[in-house]
Amino acid sequence: MCMSEVAMRHGLLGVILLVACEGRILTPGPAPFVSDLGAGGLRRLTRFEYDNSLETLLGDTSRPGFATLPEDAVTPFDNDYATQQVSTALVEAAEQLAQDAAAAAMADPVRRAALLPCQPSGPGDADCLRKFITTFGRRALRRPLASDEVDRYLTLQSFAIEDQRFETGVEWVIRVILQHPEFLYHVEVGTPEGADPAVRRLTDFELASRVSFLLLGTTPDDELLDEAEVGHLSDVTARRAHAEQLLSDPRAADQLDRFHALWLGYAQLPHPADLTAAMRAESRALVTRVVLDEKRDYRDLFRFTQTRVGDLLAEQYGLPLPGMEAWVDYGSDGRAGILSHGSVLSAFGKFGDTSPTQRGKFVRTRLFCQPIPPPPPTVNVDNPPPATTSRCKIDRYAAHRAQATCNSCHEKMDPIGFGLERYDGAGGYRTVEPDAPECTISGDGEIVGIGTFNGPGELGGLVIASGLLEPCLVRQVYRFAYGRQDAPRDEGDIQRLATGFTANGARLDQLLLEVVASEPFSLTRQESP
Amino acid sequence: MKRLCLSRRALLRGAAGLGVGLPWLEAMHQRAQAQTAPPKRYIVMFGGHSLGADNDMVRNLFAPDVIGRGYDLKAALAPIADYPGLQDEISVISGLTIPWAALNGGTTPPGGRPGPTFHADTASPLLSGVRSASGSALCNGPTSDQIVADQIAGNTTFRTLTLRAQALLYVVVGPDLGIMSHKSGGAGAAPIPVPPEVSPAAVFNALFGNFTSGLTPAQAARQNFLLRSRQSILDLVRGDTERLMPRLGAADQVRLSRHLDEIRDLERRVSAMPPVQAGACQRPADPGPDPALGMEQANPNNTLCGRIIRSSDVNLGYSGEDTRARVMCDLIHMAIACDLTRVATLMLTMFRSSMNMYPLIGVARDLHDVSHETDTATLSRAVAWHIKHFAYLAAKLGSTPEGNGTLLDNCAMLYLCEGGQGRNETGSDYSTHSSENMACLLAGRAGGLKPGQHIVATGQHPAAVITSAMNAVGVAVPGLGEVTGTIPQLFM
Repeated sequence: MCMSEVAMRHGLLGVILLVACEGRILTPGPAPFVSDLGAGGLRRLTRFEYDNSLETLLGDTSRPGFATLPEDAVTPFDNDYATQQVSTALVEAAEQLAQDAAAAAMADPVRRAALLPCQPSGPGDADCLRKFITTFGRRALRRPLASDEVDRYLTLQSFAIEDQRFETGVEWVIRVILQHPEFLYHVEVGTPEGADPAVRRLTDFELASRVSFLLLGTTPDDELLDEAEVGHLSDVTARRAHAEQLLSDPRAADQLDRFHALWLGYAQLPHPADLTAAMRAESRALVTRVVLDEKRDYRDLFRFTQTRVGDLLAEQYGLPLPGMEAWVDYGSDGRAGILSHGSVLSAFGKFGDTSPTQRGKFVRTRLFCQPIPPPPPTVNVDNPPPATTSRCKIDRYAAHRAQATCNSCHEKMDPIGFGLERYDGAGGYRTVEPDAPECTISGDGEIVGIGTFNGPGELGGLVIASGLLEPCLVRQVYRFAYGRQDAPRDEGDIQRLATGFTANGARLDQLLLEVVASEPFSLTRQESP
Repeated sequence: MKRLCLSRRALLRGAAGLGVGLPWLEAMHQRAQAQTAPPKRYIVMFGGHSLGADNDMVRNLFAPDVIGRGYDLKAALAPIADYPGLQDEISVISGLTIPWAALNGGTTPPGGRPGPTFHADTASPLLSGVRSASGSALCNGPTSDQIVADQIAGNTTFRTLTLRAQALLYVVVGPDLGIMSHKSGGAGAAPIPVPPEVSPAAVFNALFGNFTSGLTPAQAARQNFLLRSRQSILDLVRGDTERLMPRLGAADQVRLSRHLDEIRDLERRVSAMPPVQAGACQRPADPGPDPALGMEQANPNNTLCGRIIRSSDVNLGYSGEDTRARVMCDLIHMAIACDLTRVATLMLTMFRSSMNMYPLIGVARDLHDVSHETDTATLSRAVAWHIKHFAYLAAKLGSTPEGNGTLLDNCAMLYLCEGGQGRNETGSDYSTHSSENMACLLAGRAGGLKPGQHIVATGQHPAAVITSAMNAVGVAVPGLGEVTGTIPQLFM
């Protein structure tokens, strides 16, 4: 059974009322102390964050974690702590990765020189090793080490002496620290705050980590840790200013690319490497231009009339070949914005073809944050609608929807997907069905309850006009920023951010800064066991 | 005890990876005096496939026509014939059913599944004997390998080996589809999933990294230095973890304590003395780096975007799983020969597997779509790829002497798969999404198993076969999860 729009609104209202009943509804503007935030748990670095951190810490660009660490669940973001499991495979991989990364760093004279803060006088130079432990430990654990911690790691120097090689001690220290749970996990202990013992205020160092991992997808650098050390991260104005600086770091574009690829479902594409790379580059270029380079109204992402492509994609789309990667105007085949990109159009196929249902579900769940309930237990979702008297896809789906039990849900999805049917599962344009040339594709679509459209450009316009995109984007950013699903207790903060986002020019860079500067960002609520 | 007669062909093939010092005649005929009764071993292999394709009246090419001994090998089981005599070590159990709600007045029956959201829902009934809730492949009870390990692992270094050949999900259809082992979470608590190891290189290092045979004194000294270093490093890591523990909230303490348990277990394994390398127990050849990950998903349809897409591109949705599976089998074999472990699971492919089958059978579909979009004959070639690895490991165990017999004589070795073919709720009588007409294999002679039969166990639950296998290795349980009963003919 599907919830009706009205019921969904009631559901949302219910959530708000629930929050309101607890007397915690938030109003826009600088909020005083807020204890209303959802509970979170110990979250592990994703494979992406792990590899980025190795690059930041050791200059290791081999991205070994991707192949070695357990695969992250994608729901749709890859960092939800509730999906993460401890395993033998994890602990063994962490050990092996640490060993290999440490050895590789010491074997490379350039990287070794960059890591060592002093010239050792010999294998037993305790001052030099202590200096290394202090600097590297602070960087990798994202906080200063206590002196007894430094002393513990210093015991490894006996192996350097036995091995007659100072670097052995360094290497062994790196191996320990890269297996430290405060490296592998986002540990947020904080200090007690207010009457609720579950709510903790993050330390400056913990805040530095949150900011850096959110905006750059990697561990904080020395400079940000220095700011934490002098207490600048707990100051909202200073924190926001530092965050703004980080957004000009090239890695911010990587992180935004990752957020969009996960949110919009194109982190994995079903194409050969060259085409996949071209599609990812196209979407990345638009995201970067809208959000970072020109700091435009975010809604432009869904209505931009130019795209950056090379010959491979231009040919795929039927555009004039630019010769080299360049911004080109879309033709008149109905394209505009990111929904026209091969990346997004490739993402929600099924049964070896485009799936109107999956594409419609994408719009409802990813762009509108409307839940689509799972099909009832008597429906087999793993088969395409069966053949009828007509071979045409639209007729088969129509027959399927003629059953009232199916239609209550599918009318929310399929008509959206059929509005994209002229764009195949790799972004190419077509007017007839590839396997049934007698079937003309009209490309007419409808978001039931909102309006009709034809093609991804008009869909983008309709998505914007619906007013549902902005609050949903805010909710998705919230989930990604906190590495968990949003909870009823988060509703006040999400509503406040959404109101501010729309009121202030709908800029995603500003939204990220608002998240960083918000009160809940500096707090954590421990889960009850 | 009956000994497996290996063909010359199988021997030549097996010899390369076997690493056993004994000439094959000795393996076949040597009557070593058994000092003590050899331990029993328990192995479960799993394939994420059904047995018959959608709308094909041929339900499967897995169950033989002949009942009893001397059964015929159809296409899905054909690889067993590569090892003459091996068939006499393997029983086929067909006609099995995991019941579902519609057959039970709409209520999910014990050990059953709720409905036709098929794939993930078979996991819990099949592997733990406990009914599933819709949509999750996590088991609602401990799985047989973990129950067995509690009783027979003894003080082996590896209480269980939990391995998987399929390297990645490839298509994000749901988490947890790649987990087939679950520990008991304690009374009243949900079972704890045990995610598998997927890197053959990592498993090799874990199992055999501290073997010392064949090293020069200088190499042995270096290895000793590295081992002591590793122990000191892990000791510090454990200390760091213990120091962090009290600073965390209660729920996070539970999470970190699992991490700490794994570190302690790793420390224990690293410090365990390597076994005496003699006879069948030898350090196997290093398998080298893992095959590259095929990071992208398979595109199952080569007509979709014919201009550019190469759906048969072997790098899509495939990460050298054929090699990974073979190496995993070699490692399980040697881990058992060295008594490093007595319990192993190997998930060849995941539930609802999105692994590209093109490199393996020349069909540009992922394994899931082979079931839906081809026919039973084609699907059986995909099934046969799985059975090839089962047969390879069984033959390898069956040609490795132990006591008066072979390693296989002391094993109960199961092959389980995701579905059969038959009725579903939407009216089809020939659906690949059906837990009717399922079948499995049981190899080995542990506990008096009498392999080599085809047993038709119409309507019985696969857990009855699993329970028989558990009984065979000395775990005297009346059933698994919510399913009671065994297949007595397996011992007759």
